[in-house]
Amino acid sequence: MRIERRLEQPRWLSFAVPAAALVLATLLGGLVLLVTGHPPVKSFRRLFEAAFTANGALSATVVSATPLAFTGLCAAIAFRMNLFNIGGEGQLYGGAITGATAGLLLADTPSPVAIGAMVLAGAAGGALVAAIPGFLRAFLSTNEIITSLMLNYVVGLILTYLIFDTHSYLRDTKGFQAQVFPQGKTLPESATWPSWTIHGLALPLGFLLAVGLAAAVWALYARTRFGFEVQVIGDSARAARYAGMRTRRKILAVMCLSGALAGIGGASQDGDFRHQLDPRGLTAAGYGYAGIVIAALGRYNPVAVVVLAFGLGGLQNAGYTLQSADFPAGLVGVMQGLILFCALGGELFVRYRVRFERRAPKPAPVAPEPSR
Amino acid sequence: MNNSLLVVVIASGVGYGTPLLYAALGELVAERSGVLNLGVEGMMLVGAVMGFWTVQRVHVGSTAVLAAAIGVAALAAGAMALIHAFLVVTLRANQIVSGLALTIFAGAGGLSSYLGNDLNLSGSPARHQFTEPLPKSLQDLKIVGPILFGQSVLVYVSWLCVVLVALYLRWTRAGLNARAVGESPAAADAMGIDVARYRYVHTIVGGALAGVGGATFSLWLTPQWVDGLTEGAGWIAIALVIFAFWRPTFCLVGAYFFGALTALPFALQAHDVHISGDLIQTIPYSMTVVALVLVSTAVARRRLGAPAALGRPYVREER
Amino acid sequence: MSASDARPQVQQEIVTAAPGGAAVTLRGITKRFPGVVANDHVEFEAAVGEVHALLGENGAGKTTLSNILTGLYRPDEGEILLYGEPLELHSPRDALDAGIAMVHQHFRLVEPFTVAENVLLADHRPATRSFLVRPREVERRVGELSRRYGLMVEPRARIWQLSLGEQQRVEILKALYQDAKVLILDEPTAVLTPQEAEALFETIRAMAADGRTVIFISHKLHEVKAVADRVTVLRGGKSIATVDAADATPRSLARLMVGREVEIARRVGDERAVGDVVLEVEGVSADGDRGTAALLDVSLSLRAGEIVAVAGVAGNGQRELAEAIAGVRPTRSGSVRAGGRRLRGGDPREAISAGIAYVPEDRLGVGLAPTLSIASNVVLKSYRRAPASRGPVLLLSRIRELAAGLMRRYDVRAPGPEVPTRLLSGGNLQKVVLAREFSSAPRVVVAASPTRGLDVSAIETVHDYLRQAAAGGVGVLLISEDLDEILALADRIVVMYEGAVVGERSAEGADVEELGLLMAGGEEKR
Repeated sequence: MRIERRLEQPRWLSFAVPAAALVLATLLGGLVLLVTGHPPVKSFRRLFEAAFTANGALSATVVSATPLAFTGLCAAIAFRMNLFNIGGEGQLYGGAITGATAGLLLADTPSPVAIGAMVLAGAAGGALVAAIPGFLRAFLSTNEIITSLMLNYVVGLILTYLIFDTHSYLRDTKGFQAQVFPQGKTLPESATWPSWTIHGLALPLGFLLAVGLAAAVWALYARTRFGFEVQVIGDSARAARYAGMRTRRKILAVMCLSGALAGIGGASQDGDFRHQLDPRGLTAAGYGYAGIVIAALGRYNPVAVVVLAFGLGGLQNAGYTLQSADFPAGLVGVMQGLILFCALGGELFVRYRVRFERRAPKPAPVAPEPSR
Repeated sequence: MNNSLLVVVIASGVGYGTPLLYAALGELVAERSGVLNLGVEGMMLVGAVMGFWTVQRVHVGSTAVLAAAIGVAALAAGAMALIHAFLVVTLRANQIVSGLALTIFAGAGGLSSYLGNDLNLSGSPARHQFTEPLPKSLQDLKIVGPILFGQSVLVYVSWLCVVLVALYLRWTRAGLNARAVGESPAAADAMGIDVARYRYVHTIVGGALAGVGGATFSLWLTPQWVDGLTEGAGWIAIALVIFAFWRPTFCLVGAYFFGALTALPFALQAHDVHISGDLIQTIPYSMTVVALVLVSTAVARRRLGAPAALGRPYVREER
Repeated sequence: MSASDARPQVQQEIVTAAPGGAAVTLRGITKRFPGVVANDHVEFEAAVGEVHALLGENGAGKTTLSNILTGLYRPDEGEILLYGEPLELHSPRDALDAGIAMVHQHFRLVEPFTVAENVLLADHRPATRSFLVRPREVERRVGELSRRYGLMVEPRARIWQLSLGEQQRVEILKALYQDAKVLILDEPTAVLTPQEAEALFETIRAMAADGRTVIFISHKLHEVKAVADRVTVLRGGKSIATVDAADATPRSLARLMVGREVEIARRVGDERAVGDVVLEVEGVSADGDRGTAALLDVSLSLRAGEIVAVAGVAGNGQRELAEAIAGVRPTRSGSVRAGGRRLRGGDPREAISAGIAYVPEDRLGVGLAPTLSIASNVVLKSYRRAPASRGPVLLLSRIRELAAGLMRRYDVRAPGPEVPTRLLSGGNLQKVVLAREFSSAPRVVVAASPTRGLDVSAIETVHDYLRQAAAGGVGVLLISEDLDEILALADRIVVMYEGAVVGERSAEGADVEELGLLMAGGEEKR
């Protein structure tokens, strides 16, 4: 088998391959169900219903999709420039911490002010966490995969520490339940993010922010000088240097931007859904890592990321709702995994051309070496 | 004496550290050949659930079934690793994404939960478990008793694994070739070494070890099955490899260090001491980041850093 | 040897018979690639215990020949004999098994490993297959070989700790460890200090004295004279002559290397007014990619409307000079002045704003972003100004228009400006780069090997553009390995050798042989 880089990537392939991957994943999933004695079609239908069509399912899906959209955007922005920021998890936590703090501090201000502050604080918190691997990569050439990964643990533990081990500002010390089990202070009314209902579908502020930010990111990358530089650096660092671009500053900037997005996602968790700083919930959810795979599936396109976040959010939501004895637990994870595997494998066919050849004595290369 | 805080913490540390050690050794083996596998948590869980299943469903004598369970755990997790190897070595997929996909596929809420549920494994304790086999007289020795002699066979085998992995990497030709593949696949390829084959084998063996690590939970430490039994041990193992600078012997020390830190909060509670376990637990990770920065100077990087080709697919025909 | 070659001779002139019996014999070796015959019925013979130099310019066919000998390529015609017996090579493995080893210019070493580990790693002989690594044994044997052949290197040292010269010794040790009987060294002194080069020659002599055959590929005459027994000269893919090194003189070798009736298409009556100095390079020294000195106190000046060519065999510092002028490579000392001021080294933006345009050697790797569109690449340097952008926002339609216009003017053959540059042919790629560089109204154009790999019509086009630029008052610095091209275009010729300027001549009435001599490090200069 020989693999050669494709010279062109025909448009239709970019759609056909993910679609084929989806079909293949469904077939494989159906096979697994069949083999283990579950009715495939019925199971898939129930999944779909629970995700999208049942009463209130769509709204619940939006709830699941919102954090995924933020972390997906976080990963997409960075990976696009070959910056492997896998610290979305920790950056989200950071934003949750700063966002909750802002919300609590501004208890007596009008709601729009408090909420605006939370968003900004969340962005700042996430950006700060991301700045560390960003700086290390930009100026010391330290591998950002490792440093961003390590910070996930560190910030996660700090998050837990703030509620479980101290009587910090963020911890609820008065409430009845709080005597029994440590939990975060409930955020005041002013810090409750609004939600708009259209035709029975509840759209929280966070979701709308995510959509808006996705559009902004798209515009940034497609239409501005900043985005142009990111594209060039991601494509060829040498060409970027040749053209006089300031690569190191860009790396730091993109990492911070990436972290900021995840951070807003963290603030959204506080303001939209949990109304307190919730370490257990946040660390168990794994939004950051899920965001990475969404970004990869969406080939780092911000619009695709939001759409996919919605889709996978639906699957996630269906998983929660359907937890019972007669529905195969873990089907959601299996399906998500299969979709990812098939999509990853399909990538090969988009980027490379595969040829099957009979083994012959090693053929001589066709083109000459660069002239010498 | 043997009930003092220190001894208890260290002894528990060895216990809790053992699944970490297995998984970290596995990941180390894979990473040394240049393959980053973030799916450790998923592989551990699959190993845990399949090992547990063996013990619950296979009816043979205790020793035999436990041995078989380890074997099954290793095989099952190895199969998971095979998926990752196929995707990243043959299909040149992004290693980070593939590993994460594996965690989602096999981890809590995925295949391991699926199997655990379908095979009706939760709710009952293990019918056979690993015990502490050495004679009580040894176990009661001062200090070393609980720490060294009061452990399960799994712990002793893990020490053997550390030795084997260390010897393999340093003293065998295959190990030398493998390390070359991880540092400079182009040079290795030019010298006729089969890069793909080494990466496949190392990734699968890495998975098998992670599976054994998972089985350590379900067959010894918490001898039952629940969803997500390992509670993030796989992720700690990944950090552990880095913390150990990709050296097997440091993995041993690090695993027990991490294990002790995990056991610390419980031990502290039992002794009525109130220090924040969480903040202490951040220490190893922060240490790793600081160490990485120091190591980032080009010179030091060569001595202590990651295998140079870690995380990057090797494509010979790339123009 | 005839005094002047009207046409290169096809038949070999073997002056002396092989001293110790033939080791490697190549008969009638021919190798064709699309558009070029790299080796044309080459005759070559190296003897047992001989140091045989393979001399020739770039493109003469030396590398192709050595690739055939080491099993990487299969010849289209001809045969290889080893000690008189025919030899079939299907892969590099076969060559190694037959005892033929090559030391390349780019080392294949694993940096964090020790010398001994690298030597062991490379050893794939079935006879020495072992399960365990026995470092002591390997180190002992490596130490033995080191002492015997003067390849002093510490077996326990790690590769990253070694200098390039020492690393090269490791490469040679790899070959000797496997008891290679025929060693091919490809331009080995490129990375060596003069002292290290001397030590290398000692090693070569020791290997030959042991009955091994050393084939030494070079373009440097004094080296060839210093170490070789016989010299085979290749030119244009053909083997021209094989002579005794002792009898040859630098002049005679240079004549064989470049001698031809140079039919220069000199433009007649193309008098250009030469204006002020637009680029002044003074005493610039800089390091190369590997940390060794690549430029040694280089000075030159360029005037508006002038075409100055930097001649020399690749690897003598020309690329580094271009990079230093364009700001891509930081300098250790000296200064570059353009646009009336002294440029801060290592900052491409400075150079760009001073009006220096740079057409790099590596089009797709450096000069362009391959997956981005032609339009994006056209504004690669100018995207921060009008008309490409207003403030932080890019004006995409303007950029497209700009690109389309340039594509028309420079005849870039492609469906449209959105096409990714990766899909373009070499000629079109170069046109895009030139279009971009010229459209920035530069004062200086530094063009590094601008016609490498292009077909004849594309070459013509590029030459025209360069001439037009000069006619328009731009100073053109042309870096090229192709003497024909240089003689056709340049007003002045500067020859570089081993990082320094060794001579400067006016193109009018230049002595081709003398140029060849300078390029190969001949004595006549200064």
